[in-house]
Amino acid sequence: MITIHRLRKNFGDHTVLKDVSLQVNTGEVVCLIGPSGSGKSTLLRCVNGLETYDEGDIVAFGSRVERADPSIHALRCTVGMVFQRFNLFPHRTALQNVMEGPLYVKKEPRHQVREEARALLDKVGLAHKEDAYPDSLSGGQQQRVAIARALAMKPEAILFDEPTSALDPELVGEVLAVMRTLAAEGMTMIVVTHEMGFAREVADRVCFLFDGVIVEEGPPSQVLAAPRHARTQDFLRRILPPSGGA
Amino acid sequence: MTPDLFASLAAFVADARAFLPILLKGAVVTIEVTVLSFTFSAALGLALALIKVSSMRWLSWAAGAFINVVRGLPIIVQLFYIYFVLPDIGIHLSAFQAGVIGLGIAYSVYHAENFRAGIEAVDRGQHEAAQAIGMRTPMLMRRVVLPQAFRISLPAFGNILVMMLKDSSLVSTITVAEMTRAGQLIASSTFQNMTVYTLVALLYLLMSLPLVFVLRKLERRLGTGIGKKP
Repeated sequence: MITIHRLRKNFGDHTVLKDVSLQVNTGEVVCLIGPSGSGKSTLLRCVNGLETYDEGDIVAFGSRVERADPSIHALRCTVGMVFQRFNLFPHRTALQNVMEGPLYVKKEPRHQVREEARALLDKVGLAHKEDAYPDSLSGGQQQRVAIARALAMKPEAILFDEPTSALDPELVGEVLAVMRTLAAEGMTMIVVTHEMGFAREVADRVCFLFDGVIVEEGPPSQVLAAPRHARTQDFLRRILPPSGGA
Repeated sequence: MTPDLFASLAAFVADARAFLPILLKGAVVTIEVTVLSFTFSAALGLALALIKVSSMRWLSWAAGAFINVVRGLPIIVQLFYIYFVLPDIGIHLSAFQAGVIGLGIAYSVYHAENFRAGIEAVDRGQHEAAQAIGMRTPMLMRRVVLPQAFRISLPAFGNILVMMLKDSSLVSTITVAEMTRAGQLIASSTFQNMTVYTLVALLYLLMSLPLVFVLRKLERRLGTGIGKKP
């Protein structure tokens, strides 16, 4: 379980997050939506300590998230992350990327790590690409390797920071398919996304952020189909195709 | 071919045969000085770069100051200082040791700046990806950032090696018997300046050109597996 309590974060004079509280239960999929600059990525990055925060608390699976505390490294093994721009290690093959964490951070035996990494690449549909370097993979393939790399740490939860925003449209589906599978298997996920279809179909809960505040929060059937708040209505009108609506 | 030219060519060859064994002995010392001082300077330079990019503010400042001071001094002055001045405070080094240490320190600052630029050129996303799988800074540097930084730094790294091979001749000024020094000694006793320095120049080229070639190959080979940003 991840609990965010009254979080406040400033960048200089600018307050990016104002009094944000959110609880994500184990096995739950929560999608964070909102316009750019609303603070959703920052909120996500606070959860595994890639950003500091100024006030409030984040507790993830029993330990407080504190960027400067040595406990942060163990916490990051518990809460994985998938980035918008994949950030695969370019000097290592797909298989080595997946093995890196368990082998060097967790210091598990190599033969076991290799077997598990191969199984994970197979799970994301890339068993045949284990010796490929990232620059020879498509964006969708790279992002699937990145998901396998996060899974290799056997995390309790995974944070997804706009995982399909850097992809060509025809490659979005393959990444979302992997994420759907994870959700179905009960992985705890917080997903910053602009994919409303995915949010509607997969999320247990959708949070709409605007200007550093969670303006509206609820099941996708409510937030996406029948938003109560004017800001949410306005946002959804702008990003959804005019004909379909939500 | 005129008989005159033929005669002087024959004389050159005869002289060359007499001088070459001495010059080759010097060449061995040149290579020793280059390899040792290059290794020392690269290690010191890497340490300086890591300190400079670290969050330890005072150490980082000190490393920056050291780099600026060393960069602001002529290498010959540094060599003289180490060889002639340090004995006054009880540090006695052989000419060879002083040469290796002096060249090593002088060149460490170029390595430091080169490595620092390489480290800073590695995408921030790489740091974050490494942190996100639980890596602490030393492992993050060793496994993720430095291998990529080194590839970025490699062309300049190779240039420094070639420059050091040539600048190892500077240690002749503190009596290290490397190739240039050997040439000077022969020239001053035989007055065959043309023969001696032509041979010295050819021998330097014989060492530096293959080095340039090998480095270029290495650059190309290490270039695989790293590429365009997604």
